[in-house]
Amino acid sequence: MAKVAQSLKFRQLILSSRLSTLGLIVVIVSVVLAIGFSIFGGRVTPYDPFALNLQQSNLPPSPAHFFGTDFQGRDIFSRVIAALPIDLGLPIAIVLLSSVLGIFLGMAAGYLGGIVDEVIMRVTDLFLAFPTIIMVLAVAATLGSGLVNAMLAFVFVWWPPYVRLVRGGVLEVAAEDFIAISKALNSSFRHIIMKGILPNIIPSVLTYATLDVGTALLEVSILGFLGVGIPPGTPELGVMVGSISYGLYTYPWQALFPAFVTMILVVGFSFLGEGAREASDVKVRPYILFRKRGLKPKTKAQGKEPTPFTHQGVINSDS
Amino acid sequence: MRDLFTGNFGIDPLTGQPILSEIGFYLPNTLELVLVSFALLVIVGISLGYFAGMHFSTLGDSLVRIIYLTSWSTPMYLAAIVAILFFATYIPIFPSGGMYSLSIAPPRPMTGIFLVDSLLQLNIPAFVSGLQHLILPAAALAFVNFGLISRAVRSSILNVRWSTYVKTARAKGLSESEVRRKHILRNALIDATSLSAVMFGWLLTSTVVVEELFAWPGLGQFAFQAIYSNDYPVLIPIVVVFTIGVIVANFVADVAYSLLDPRIAMGGKSGSVT
Repeated sequence: MAKVAQSLKFRQLILSSRLSTLGLIVVIVSVVLAIGFSIFGGRVTPYDPFALNLQQSNLPPSPAHFFGTDFQGRDIFSRVIAALPIDLGLPIAIVLLSSVLGIFLGMAAGYLGGIVDEVIMRVTDLFLAFPTIIMVLAVAATLGSGLVNAMLAFVFVWWPPYVRLVRGGVLEVAAEDFIAISKALNSSFRHIIMKGILPNIIPSVLTYATLDVGTALLEVSILGFLGVGIPPGTPELGVMVGSISYGLYTYPWQALFPAFVTMILVVGFSFLGEGAREASDVKVRPYILFRKRGLKPKTKAQGKEPTPFTHQGVINSDS
Repeated sequence: MRDLFTGNFGIDPLTGQPILSEIGFYLPNTLELVLVSFALLVIVGISLGYFAGMHFSTLGDSLVRIIYLTSWSTPMYLAAIVAILFFATYIPIFPSGGMYSLSIAPPRPMTGIFLVDSLLQLNIPAFVSGLQHLILPAAALAFVNFGLISRAVRSSILNVRWSTYVKTARAKGLSESEVRRKHILRNALIDATSLSAVMFGWLLTSTVVVEELFAWPGLGQFAFQAIYSNDYPVLIPIVVVFTIGVIVANFVADVAYSLLDPRIAMGGKSGSVT
């Protein structure tokens, strides 16, 4: 019961900000389209995204082809929809795997401490120092072309921030009284980890991960744009942009539409992530609830003292 | 291992030249691009963030927030393509690629950095041409990355703007501009400094895309070609150079942080945090 109330509030909190609602809409629409395409294939798109039609190549945008057609006569709008499963699935998988890895390693480092902590954190620092894009490119090129390889290349460099995030959280939670009490009550190690620490870590990881999906999406499309890792001809937004570099001046829409769709997707995840961060921030929550009910939090000297909501959660300078 | 520290990276199997001298040729070009773009990023990022923070909750604030959210959601290639299309093709005020126009005699390499060399040798046409070619890639690079700085500056201005410390400064009778400059802005710059060093590392790695699109003969393009042709003997030293760049930037950030913020001391004497 309590849990239901909590999740309800969380939903309200996300919906209380216009920007994060917008982000949520973008994310839901794109996810629905992606799932729809993976189930029904070419039946949800206006044209078959893979069918070549050389008589209709390089058509400008028109009511028949919203985004125009590419150099092989494929409808770009259909291909953008066909790209969604990859462009959403790959980043989500990357972030999911990285966060699982991060939770595992971060908990080990933070909770066990000592030599384990030392080793894990030094390795993490080592990986943090590598420049991301270059490292991903290098690993992806080494592993060879393929979506799974691209994903592995990303996970290879993507996990360190999660370890740091989780370890910091574990150190904070482990110092709390209820953990000490739990230990004094002779709770099992598993019980302390699963019931005591994990539930307190998950929200911050979830918030970070939402924002991170957008970043991962950007980098995945850059990989596709450069033509490394993701096989050519795959309907992927970056690949679509990159494949036209010769016709950029004559057929700019072939690059611009997929690129703008990428941007909209990332904006969606950023807005949603910002909203989630705002909502999960304990300091800001009461203010948002007040705002939701049309009340004002108590402030001294109305007008002079600013109501410190909205900015606290939106901005987080330590990241 | 010793070869790594002495810089002996061997011979590039594709061109037959020592890799170190190749890196020595490409690195200054990348540094030129990254430094100019970094200056742009810091100036624009801080002033926009400052503006938004000082006009909190107004139309200007919302506009700036929308601008910086778009900034960091823009794929690097989109910014570059839009820049090329609009400012080099439709309104051809800037050249679309390369580092200087071929009709101009380039300066003799002294520092290796094109603009500095041409200035030192008073080769004004080369300097102007170099600048023209530099503006678009630098601006595209800066646009994609300035968002985080604006956001951090805005947030720290909001944190400090209504603090008792600023009230005290006002109560002491300092003029408004003095309060803003010395008390508000200076505090806001602490976070921006540490972040901008991180941004420097990002800029360095973003050059892979930008240099490829703008045909800028820098380390990023060199790295991309090495990756594309599976030229690992070249790729590994490049990754090493980039990694050193990122580590140096982070180190500078830590030092600058401790210099700016007296509460954080380096070393273990006064209960240090770092």
